[in-house]
Amino acid sequence: MLGWIGRGLRKGRITTRYPRREEPAPVAYRGTVDVLDATDTPAELAALCPTGAIMIDEQRRLTLDRGRCILCGECVRAAPERLRFNSRYQTAARPRSALVVADQVDPAGGEPTHAALGDLARGLRRSIHVRHIDCGSDGSEEWEIQALWNPYYDIQRLGFFLTAAPRHADVLLVTGGVTAPMRGPLERTWQVMPEPKALVAVGTDACSGGLSAGGGLVAGGVDAILPVDVYVPGSPPAPIAIMHGLLLAVGLIRGVEVAA
Amino acid sequence: MTSLSQGPIELPDYLPAHLGAVREPGPPGELRLRVTLLSFERAARMLRDAGARFVTVFLADTPEPALVGAFALRGELIMLRAPSGSVDPVVYGSIGAWWPAARWPEQELVERHGVRPVGEPSERRLTEPDADLLDRGVQGLDVFALPYGPVRSGVFEAIQFQIETGGEDVPRIQTRPFFKHRGMERRFVGLVPDHAVYVAERVAGIASVAYATAFSQAVERALGVPPPPSAERWRAVYAELERLACHLDVIAKEAETTALYVGQARFQILKEQVTRLRAGLTGSRFGRGVVVPGGVRFEGAMNLDELSGTLGALERDLVRDRRLFLGTPSMTDRLIGAGRLERGLVEDYGAVGPLARGSGLSTDARHERPYGDYRRLGLQVITHREGDAMARVNVRFGELFESLRILRQSIDHLRRGDGQLQSELPPGATGAAFGWAEAPQGELVVWVEIRDGLVHRVHIASPSLRNWALFDHAFPKDVLTDFAFIEHSFGLTPAGADR
Repeated sequence: MLGWIGRGLRKGRITTRYPRREEPAPVAYRGTVDVLDATDTPAELAALCPTGAIMIDEQRRLTLDRGRCILCGECVRAAPERLRFNSRYQTAARPRSALVVADQVDPAGGEPTHAALGDLARGLRRSIHVRHIDCGSDGSEEWEIQALWNPYYDIQRLGFFLTAAPRHADVLLVTGGVTAPMRGPLERTWQVMPEPKALVAVGTDACSGGLSAGGGLVAGGVDAILPVDVYVPGSPPAPIAIMHGLLLAVGLIRGVEVAA
Repeated sequence: MTSLSQGPIELPDYLPAHLGAVREPGPPGELRLRVTLLSFERAARMLRDAGARFVTVFLADTPEPALVGAFALRGELIMLRAPSGSVDPVVYGSIGAWWPAARWPEQELVERHGVRPVGEPSERRLTEPDADLLDRGVQGLDVFALPYGPVRSGVFEAIQFQIETGGEDVPRIQTRPFFKHRGMERRFVGLVPDHAVYVAERVAGIASVAYATAFSQAVERALGVPPPPSAERWRAVYAELERLACHLDVIAKEAETTALYVGQARFQILKEQVTRLRAGLTGSRFGRGVVVPGGVRFEGAMNLDELSGTLGALERDLVRDRRLFLGTPSMTDRLIGAGRLERGLVEDYGAVGPLARGSGLSTDARHERPYGDYRRLGLQVITHREGDAMARVNVRFGELFESLRILRQSIDHLRRGDGQLQSELPPGATGAAFGWAEAPQGELVVWVEIRDGLVHRVHIASPSLRNWALFDHAFPKDVLTDFAFIEHSFGLTPAGADR
């Protein structure tokens, strides 16, 4: 046992400073896709996208739905002058329309969802209880949520605790595009959570169904069933992105600003 | 205990005639035998007697509609193909009736495709689970049935276990998968292989590289386009990093279950380091978007010296953490003897991966049917005979070091690489083949049919589904509080099982 103590202490501090300071991502990290130039888009570009995240209107203006994007990079490779990967971690946003972007200002972030929950969070000195439910993810989102409680991210320092009982939960993290057998359990879980409460859709599948949509076996996003407060797109989103979504959901930060 | 087993053994020439089958041409490592629906069961029975391991049974559509069974025998993947012609529904003698490994795949065929295996034992509905259904099988005053899941405490994927217990002993446990069935095999249909690989990566997200590799290899074998050697080396690097992450995750979860918090933190740190390494190399924390049919899309975006330096530091940490883990009696006491699976049972169920290797079977797709760079890399198959949770954890510890050794070797090879990363796929081609890879959870086999350059049909035999059928038998002498230890020692993913 003593060995473990020495082992634990020797490592020193490795926890991220986020949200006080930005957490740098590896240069090559594919966090999100930015639109550089939305004008005069060739129609073929929309057909390249496996999830239909790229839309082109009659004026040939391009819009990108980050809630559908799986970050495969087909479009970036085909038209690097129009679209580019951004290594930024903070990709959470609300409302859903904020995920649909053109070449204007970066709309990630948005106003805090639940003023009431934010007040409550401050009143409770940030004791927020989080519950997770899997409604048909590919399994990677669960790993990234679990990672929030590892020493690198340690979300407990911000006052987020994992709870086993939905009746004790303030925030529900939902992964997956909602399969038929999970619809009932999802609705029941949400129903028994006390007010005020917030729902965060984690991952592209939870935002829109992603690649699993289209076969009629998944609802195509959590918002087809319950109102979603914050969307965290990504396939899967990194732990910092999920943390960003949680902080947005309870109103502890606004937008992508870095401050606690 | 480790064993360095011999290479693949040639199958005797008389085998097709012995099975009453006609041999058909197929890609290397794949023995294709045509039988009839009537002789299908008999041929399968003979294969079992010859020591074959059941892999899967499904309906194929190329070159014609047929019932297909896949079996692993001595370094070959044997495909029994019984054309069904106009027979609808497909009727044949049940394999699941006498071969436990075939029960779930056959049940899936019955429920999803209306296939009629004759003599098949009636089973509960498997593919459309009901969270509220209680199906009690044990009578007794103080025995209660506990539906555990699909919403469980902690952050877990959705699956349900119906546990029947009097509080301590667990006389009966029923695993209920398919809460997460997304119909992923259908999502492949109609896509070009380059796009379809994105679907493969998302069948089981924690084994994205293995799924992408197995799918890509199936496409390459179907179209006869081998990937360049450098691409195979990068695939091995990404695959072994994925194995490191998955095995470290299992060990961290075992430590968490005993409330060995520093140990948990240590293994989580190592896992996160591997994950960040993968993000640095591929731009994705799960190694996605790199492995594609024909090769890999790009080289790792990292200096090879930096990569081997990071891995060296990781190995030094791992040596110390393993010593502490195995020297903590409060940890090992919970694992020793827990969830013991006898070798015979594991064979009957055709289990694969660390689960099978923990019960003394030396099955590993990288060794049995070497693919890609594993044909050039020597592999030591780690096995332990005890069959308990401790053995499964020990197999993973051994494989962590074996993966690090393979990584060192691959990185050395890459320094001398010629740099070509992708072979061109012929446009509009047609073909069908199996592809396989050893995922961290066990052997993954994928059947892919390509027609006119588009994916026509895909069948996935996932290690998670094949191993999970054994969970019902994993509590021979164990009590309810052993549940989490045993579950984590299986190390499976519902997403892969449910597809």
